[in-house]
Order: sequence, then C-alpha cells, then structure tokens
Amino acid sequence: MNEDIRNRLLGSASPDPGCEACFEILDQYAEAVLQGVDAGRLFPQVIAHIESCEACREDTEGLLAALRSQSSDESK
Amino acid sequence: MTTLDADSARWLEELRGQGSVRALAHTRLHAMLLRMARAEAFRRRDSLPPDVAGDLDDLCLQAANDAVVAVLGKLDAFRGASRFTTWACKFALLEVSVRLRRRAWSRRRVALEEASWERLVDPARGPEWSLEHHELLSTVRELVQSTLTESQRRVFLAVVAEEIPIDVIAERTGSSRGAVYKALHDARRRLRAAMAVAGQREAK
Repeated sequence: MNEDIRNRLLGSASPDPGCEACFEILDQYAEAVLQGVDAGRLFPQVIAHIESCEACREDTEGLLAALRSQSSDESK
Repeated sequence: MTTLDADSARWLEELRGQGSVRALAHTRLHAMLLRMARAEAFRRRDSLPPDVAGDLDDLCLQAANDAVVAVLGKLDAFRGASRFTTWACKFALLEVSVRLRRRAWSRRRVALEEASWERLVDPARGPEWSLEHHELLSTVRELVQSTLTESQRRVFLAVVAEEIPIDVIAERTGSSRGAVYKALHDARRRLRAAMAVAGQREAK
C-alpha cells in the first residue's frame, strides 16, 4: 500500500502533541537538526506532528532553510 | 533556567534596556525578522499565484511587524533552550507562512461542505496500485460518512480531499491552526480505529 496516500488520509498513529506544542519546541528541534544530533530521538513528538501536519512541516522546512542560510552567511 | 549564550543574553538585556539601547535593539530585531520573512517568501515564490508572488513586500513587512510584537510579548517565556535568534525567527516564519497561505487562497472559493475525492486518485499510477488505492479510498469514504461528527467530516474533507491549508480553514471559520488540526487529528484517529475494527471483522 502506498504510504503517502495512507498517511494523507489517516495520518500517523504516533502520539502527536499538536501545532502549539510543536511550535513551542520548534527552535530546539531545528538547532538539533542543524547540529547533526539525533533530533528524531530527542524530539519524537515533533517528528510525529510534522508527519501529519503539512503546515507545520512546511514551516519547519522554512525555519531550517533560513537557519542554514544564516549560518552559511555567518561563516563567510 | 538554562544558561544563556552570550549573544542571547545581550539580546535580552538590550531589548529590556532603556532609551536608545532598547530602540536600537527593537530596530535590529525587526530587521532580522523582516530578512527572515523575505527569505521564506522568496523560498516559496514558485508555489504562489503570480499576483501574490509579485507583491510580497507589504506582506513581509506586516509579518515582521507582528512577529516583533509576538517576540516582545513572549520575551519572559524565552528560557535559552535555543539561541535567541533561532527562537525569535520561528515567530517570523509562522507569521509570514500563515499570510502566504491565506493570500494564496484569498481569491479562491472555499466550500467546506464539498469534496472532490477524485483529487486523491493519481492517474499516473499503475492499475494494480490503483485498485488497492481505490479500495482504501472507498473504505475511508464510507467511514467518513458513518463515523465522523459533522465538524470532523467538514475539516477532514477540506484538508484531505480539497487540500485547503489549515490556516485558511482557521481564518474562514474564525478558529486557530491548532484547533483545526485537532479536529483533523481526532477525525483521523477515529477513522483508524474504525478501519481496525473493519479489518478484524473481515479477518473473521
């Protein structure tokens, strides 16, 4: 079964804290990702949420992209 | 309380300072959040309608203004678990992305009571995949009618079948992103449970 369509229809069964709780720790999650540590182990609730919430997933990608660009500017 | 890094401590001290120190810190914060908003709008430009993509300056400025207000209002909640700039930037990101979604949908009709299940059918896929796909869709479609509450059904169909962003649904229904997502999450949980029961019945 195609997991994309199943996930789109039914979402993830993992415990999901919701948008507000995810936003609360999004900065910590983003820094963990950029530092190359195991962000999925440290913040499983963020992973569970962004798997099912497209808006928060896009926002997380945006924050990561901006921080990567910021850090590349700082290192120049 | 986590120990603050030097840069974050300086931001807090200056933002809470007096006179020109405080004013300058506010200006720096606004400039940083505006850069962030513009960068995000630029990153998403290809997915925006042409009329929106061509007119982003005001949208980014409004997003930066509101992000500054949000950051200053929540300053006491910053505990130093991340760098201050990372923490502040997420507010700009949220403000600009909500505005981009709403602007992109501002001229589109949003009918929460209608749904095109056909959108979920991908004709590019092979017949075997399609059969399995159709079976899943058909089961979910039946369960949406038989197991969800009216409000869950409306949100589920709007997000999943119509692909309306939850920020747009929140705006049109006078709700919040979190509340719309919760309705979607509850609907999906109910559907998963109903599918599990249906699967057990079939197995017997």
